[in-house]
Amino acid sequence: MNEDKLLSELLSAWEDTYKKGQLTLWIFLALKEDKKYVDDIKFFVEEQSRQTMSCEEQSLYRTLRKFQHLGVVDFETGKGNKGPERKYYFLTDLGQTLLAQFIDRNISLFFSYKIKKLLIPEGKS
Amino acid sequence: MKSITINQLKFAGSLALLTILFRFALSALLSDMQFTWAWVIAAIYSLSVFITGWILGKKDYETLPLYDIGFKFHLITYIECNLIAELWFLLGFQSHFENVKTVHYTALFWGIGLMIHLILFRYSRKGSIKGIEKSELFD
Repeated sequence: MNEDKLLSELLSAWEDTYKKGQLTLWIFLALKEDKKYVDDIKFFVEEQSRQTMSCEEQSLYRTLRKFQHLGVVDFETGKGNKGPERKYYFLTDLGQTLLAQFIDRNISLFFSYKIKKLLIPEGKS
Repeated sequence: MKSITINQLKFAGSLALLTILFRFALSALLSDMQFTWAWVIAAIYSLSVFITGWILGKKDYETLPLYDIGFKFHLITYIECNLIAELWFLLGFQSHFENVKTVHYTALFWGIGLMIHLILFRYSRKGSIKGIEKSELFD
């Protein structure tokens, strides 16, 4: 196996593991500031993750139903551009607090000076 | 949390229909002393109930992966099968070869099985939040 192929396979394997559980964070970020319907959430996740995250509509509905059952997400129905009414999802107070605490404990540490310096590739700082 | 879902209602309806058809066929076959066919019809009935429960239970789990789905389907089956069996005798639809004691003993021993299922279900859901296993909450 040449080095390029090895690198590519290692990267894919790492990314597959890394992405597991990330969809929750992306969905929460999508709903942090405003209400969105499923297509909007899907678009946000794929665009903001630069297409590294993808989500099927059915899978999103299933996840949102689960979050609604847990009380971290809720929805209200509203008119779509065309056709039937849509479900506009939003974070509940519990969801907002959960996201804030998750970011504080797991994401904020990436913004420390030392870690930021390590994350930025050499020559780009 | 909904106490009963659409799929559970569909299962309850299908089960009621299957059980009434089964009871009707069983009593008719026993009256004609078609004992082998009575076994065949019982096997077909059991398989049909199992497949219906399996399909609708799977749909329910895909909608929301709750712990108590299996137990709820079991409870619905217990209530309906025993209720219809008791009514069958109360209305006098049974054949000469059927005994109401069999229905009572079935309800009793099945009831013990159902209680064991309830205890196991309550024990297993201790590691869950709102009925969903922790490892499945944010997968």
